[in-house]
Amino acid sequence: MRCFYALLLLAALLPAQNVQTATLANGMKVIIQEDHNIPNVALYFFYKIGSRNERPGITGISHFFEHMMFNGAKKYGPKQFDNEMEKAGGNNNAWTSEDLTVYTDWFPSSALELMFDMEGDRIRDLSLDPKMVASERGVVYSERRTSVDNNNFGILYEQMHAAAFTAHPYHWPVLGWPSDIEAWTQQDLKDYFAIGYAPNNCTMVVVGDVTVARVMELAKKYIEPIPRHDPPPPVRTKEPEQLGERRVTVKKAAQLPIQMVAYHVPEARNPDAIVLDVAATLLSRGQSSRLYKRMVDEEPLALSVSGNAGDSLDPTLMIFTIQPRNGVDPARTEKVLYEELERLQNTEISPRELQKAKNQLLTAHYSQLKTIAGRASLLGHYESIFGDYAKTFTIDKDYEAVTAADIQRVAKKYFTEKNRTVATLIPEGKSK
Amino acid sequence: MFGQAKLPQYTKETLPNGTVIAMMPRSGVPLVHLRVLIKGGVESDPQGMAGLANLTANLLRRGTSKRSAQQFAEELDYLGGTFQAGFDGQLGSATAISSEFLSKDFDKGLDLLADAILHPAFTESEVHKELARRIDGAKAVKDNAQASINSYFRAAFFGRAHPYGNPPDEMSYSQMSRKDIMDLHQKFYCGRNMLIVVTGEFDPSSAKTKLAQIFGAAPAGTAYAWGTAPALVRRGQLLLIDKPDATQTYFQIAQPGIDRKNPDRTTLDIINTLFGGRFTSMLNDELRVNSGLTYGAGSILEQNRLPGAIVISTYTKNDTTTQAIDMALDVLRRLNEKGITAEQLASAKAYVKGLYPTSRLETMDQLAALIGEIELYGLGRDEVDGYFARIDNITLDQANAIIKKYYKTDDLTFVVLGSADKIREQMKKYDPHGTEVSIKTSGWGN
Repeated sequence: MRCFYALLLLAALLPAQNVQTATLANGMKVIIQEDHNIPNVALYFFYKIGSRNERPGITGISHFFEHMMFNGAKKYGPKQFDNEMEKAGGNNNAWTSEDLTVYTDWFPSSALELMFDMEGDRIRDLSLDPKMVASERGVVYSERRTSVDNNNFGILYEQMHAAAFTAHPYHWPVLGWPSDIEAWTQQDLKDYFAIGYAPNNCTMVVVGDVTVARVMELAKKYIEPIPRHDPPPPVRTKEPEQLGERRVTVKKAAQLPIQMVAYHVPEARNPDAIVLDVAATLLSRGQSSRLYKRMVDEEPLALSVSGNAGDSLDPTLMIFTIQPRNGVDPARTEKVLYEELERLQNTEISPRELQKAKNQLLTAHYSQLKTIAGRASLLGHYESIFGDYAKTFTIDKDYEAVTAADIQRVAKKYFTEKNRTVATLIPEGKSK
Repeated sequence: MFGQAKLPQYTKETLPNGTVIAMMPRSGVPLVHLRVLIKGGVESDPQGMAGLANLTANLLRRGTSKRSAQQFAEELDYLGGTFQAGFDGQLGSATAISSEFLSKDFDKGLDLLADAILHPAFTESEVHKELARRIDGAKAVKDNAQASINSYFRAAFFGRAHPYGNPPDEMSYSQMSRKDIMDLHQKFYCGRNMLIVVTGEFDPSSAKTKLAQIFGAAPAGTAYAWGTAPALVRRGQLLLIDKPDATQTYFQIAQPGIDRKNPDRTTLDIINTLFGGRFTSMLNDELRVNSGLTYGAGSILEQNRLPGAIVISTYTKNDTTTQAIDMALDVLRRLNEKGITAEQLASAKAYVKGLYPTSRLETMDQLAALIGEIELYGLGRDEVDGYFARIDNITLDQANAIIKKYYKTDDLTFVVLGSADKIREQMKKYDPHGTEVSIKTSGWGN
């Protein structure tokens, strides 16, 4: 245990103490960490809206919105957000998931006020110029062609999700179905802005070369006057229990097959979720992991293998992704995966192997804390998904608490035949 | 507005066997980063064995004189350490092996890293396994249009005679044996050819003693003898790669650029930022923002040891292929003819300076990479300390003269990957004698 306690010591040394929080009168939570190591700032906005808040007919609209947020508001018109920001030495991006839409700004501290002004402008007064909507539709379609239609992993992932979830909104892709991308209307966009972009549905995170006083002064000036309104309605639909294995096949031109095996697992706040993180690490992180050793190293079965379940608001999937070697029948890699999952369920895990997985998770977590962007990302993630930003600095204790018996219990509970969806991409024109 | 960028101090010393050790102790996060550079990199691949230097680097950890591959993996993962071995940059003229550990594990981490670099076993079975995996990997990469077009581009633009023009393929891997790997290791993993950079939280005096003891024991050997770049022989040509199932066309349009030490590089950094290096760049503005033809369009200014390319790169759906190519060419023509304005120049200067700290100076791994470049290319610390001043001093006239010198509109190389039946005829206007290759054919069209 010596090594592990030493790792805990490291966590204590990390700059956790100077995080400060406040809540604006309109309900937006603000999380601030001063760090003057470099003269730059990471300013992130986490909106609790994503594809889970959509419905058939408007799938992909959360992601489309993320794009439209750069296409002009009242004070700063089309292109101005990017033009002004880059002129001031800053850069930005944004991403959308099933659960969240996140806007990320990186800039020198001299641009702090400009960024608050522009962020406030687009949260309050986004304009939805029909011309910009038309051109942005083309951009989003191109993004979909790149990440799904012309990406074998992307298309299999989409088909697998659609089969594993029959009722819950995780059924549809974040980018949306093509027919919805083509069809959503100006009114759909207006309605969606009204439900998603409430200040009380957002967390702001500021990390870097700032003072708390200055951030709060700017937040009060530019963000606080934006009125609160109703957040998105709760997602009511729950995925019914899966009653038997589901199998999906995608036939596509390809050199090699791809296989994904997915099990329904709980949401991030469920205590089993972190146990599954440790299990996934033990199975597939690093060249000493069980699946890598067995399938990539010892037997020439796969080019790559990975397994993980992301932190999510609703019950999600633990997905094992395997690329079988040339000439290897995917039935063979599938069988070996099940053998390894059974071994995890039924054979004792050594204390050293368990410790190894925990150490890997911890150092990976610490390495995200090295940058202002990494810290802004983690603080917002834990606040939005767990309702507790401080998990950024205490997750080590959760890892520490996981036992070998926990891993075997969750492995038995979730890695069952009835609970799985198996998706295989088979190269077109070749027999299986 | 931004002050000046400043590289923290580091020490440098040369061991009797020629190994150079650079150290930059930094407090803050209790991690230590080690980066070892072996000169040669992609340039040191023997004739017909493209990929050998990279393969050798990848095999370092797969068993040593005192550890099996699995023992190495288990010890490394138990420490939660990282170990990466590959080229320094995409077309690195050095192999970089970098490792990061908790500071308290300095001795264990150093032992693992040094064991892999100095005493690899290269057992027949590990060599065989890795080669077989790579041959399959060379097939799998063809399923990814974006990844594979880069290799086709290398071959088309630089040509076979050039070290940058030989991406590895099934053929080159099938030529390699354990002996080739052993020979390459013996020849280049030696004192006079090795640079070690240590950054992060560690005790410099005891670290120096340990590094000198371990790496000082390596044979001195000889430093890599750098070659010169062969001429580019295939300029002005078009290569079409047929991927019948593609629903969009990927293309790159290239012309000659500069090397890492070219005196025009700072001005070109600024110009390429405006042309295709940021979201509001001329290319992205025209092809994405104004017309919705693509998710992203940009231009890359390569800066490697040998002169590289300036590459326009984007993609669009099949039926807008020529519209997008013509638009990209039009943006290039406008840059060439009209140059840039004072306002654009000021914006790009601020952008490049504003992002520099987070992209190069924030973490110990970034600093180690930067020190490696400075030492490898003989740039001096002014590369960082004088960077903002060099940017500030660029005048509009200088910038526009540099545009005329580099951003030309003729003799362009086109590499287009898409569904050939749908675009073949239209491609003739760019090169009536262009060549076509099927993505299913092994290799990279050369």
